[in-house]
Amino acid sequence: MRGAFLTFTFMAAAIAWHGSPAAAHHSFAAEFDITKPVTLTGKVTKIEWTNPHAFLFIDVPDTQTGAVTNWEIEMGSPNGLTRLGWTRTLLRAGDEVTVEGSLGRNKANLANARSVVMTATGKKLGAASSEGAQ
Amino acid sequence: MKWIGVCVVPLLLVVFGSNGSAQSGTGGIRGAVTSPDGPVSAAPIRAKHQSTGRVFSTTSANSGQFALTDLPAGIYEVSVPQIGLATAPFVQNVNVEAGQTTSLNIALTKGNQGVLGDDNAYLVIRNKYSNVRGAAPRLADGRPDLSGVWNANVDPNPEPAALLPWANDVWRNRLSTSFRDHPMALCLPGDPTPTPPVFYKFVQTRGILVLLFEHEPHYRQIFLDGRVHPQQADPTWMGHSVGKWDGDTLVVDTTGFNDKSWLIFTVGLPHTEMLHMVERYRRPDLGHLLVDLRLEDPGAFTKPVERHMTWELAPGEEILESICTENNKFPEYAGVK
Repeated sequence: MRGAFLTFTFMAAAIAWHGSPAAAHHSFAAEFDITKPVTLTGKVTKIEWTNPHAFLFIDVPDTQTGAVTNWEIEMGSPNGLTRLGWTRTLLRAGDEVTVEGSLGRNKANLANARSVVMTATGKKLGAASSEGAQ
Repeated sequence: MKWIGVCVVPLLLVVFGSNGSAQSGTGGIRGAVTSPDGPVSAAPIRAKHQSTGRVFSTTSANSGQFALTDLPAGIYEVSVPQIGLATAPFVQNVNVEAGQTTSLNIALTKGNQGVLGDDNAYLVIRNKYSNVRGAAPRLADGRPDLSGVWNANVDPNPEPAALLPWANDVWRNRLSTSFRDHPMALCLPGDPTPTPPVFYKFVQTRGILVLLFEHEPHYRQIFLDGRVHPQQADPTWMGHSVGKWDGDTLVVDTTGFNDKSWLIFTVGLPHTEMLHMVERYRRPDLGHLLVDLRLEDPGAFTKPVERHMTWELAPGEEILESICTENNKFPEYAGVK
């Protein structure tokens, strides 16, 4: 957990809340630690466009050692992502992204994504449909 | 999970003169609810009088503006219990003076800690259809037609359930384990109540109302053909539902539940097979569905549990396929199994 590409910020006053499943299904706080936000930058290696959650896999280099770790990033359901303007081909292998989320509790190199920003365009993915909303 | 962050910025808090209410000792709170996407329509605004505990509520207009009037003078705690959100106080110590209107603008942030794709689509979609206008449609037989894709909502003023000791113990354990064992996490039907704020497609004919949705078991049948509940049927996750009209209100009565589901979105109440669910659906106009829920279970509750929601029509949305068992990693990643 070191280097500019891999930073943890511990929130002093995180307001922990988890809902029971909605469009997705799971109990967030049982799977992720909301007090351990993580920011990861790396290149996409794979996308699982599946229910109940889509997963993004990214290779994250350690800035000190250069060692690359493959992280698994849990997103919402394909339906939820679709309603935010995503498609299954929006990201492709090799695209660099920065992910913000929370660290998994029970599995190494697992995090959720609450936002994904594409490095090439600076575009925050998922904002497509909200930008047009009033 | 769909929810908006709890960070709220009270942008402006000034008091200016109002008219007419000084004699009655009441005042008001007026302002607007916004998010980074713009005004938030139909947001629930809840003001709790600090000394009496009385709760006053309203919803914001399409412009995001709201007005709470005829509030007894005093200090209020104002919250916007948006989708799935804990009703944490947003703004405390809002002073309402007799004959005055307090201005309060509430900026909801997206600072959610949820999962991309599960969160702010709700508001985006709701705002998209906030201009739906018209009269409620009717079927050929004159009954109101509840058909359509509905964007469900939560009760802005939920009352805590009154549980028997055993049920309270079970519920406390569920909270302390972060709902880890929720049936939905295992791709089972989790909640027979219409409280998850998701899309429900109502397909109504004279004899049946079918509800379609994107979580298990993906459908409900509500028989409108006059049949009664079967005797000694095997208990099921969703029970057996029959509906009758009370004027323009459809009253749906459901019994025959098993005891495996966790009741009410974000609450997860335990219950027994004695559970009896009564839903009242009324469509006052084209774009709204009023949903009143009453849960009775003498084996688990000391009094009925109620919820009152206002759903909005989302005419351009559709129910999409969602096969939970396709790739459910939750049990492994949450350490359930």
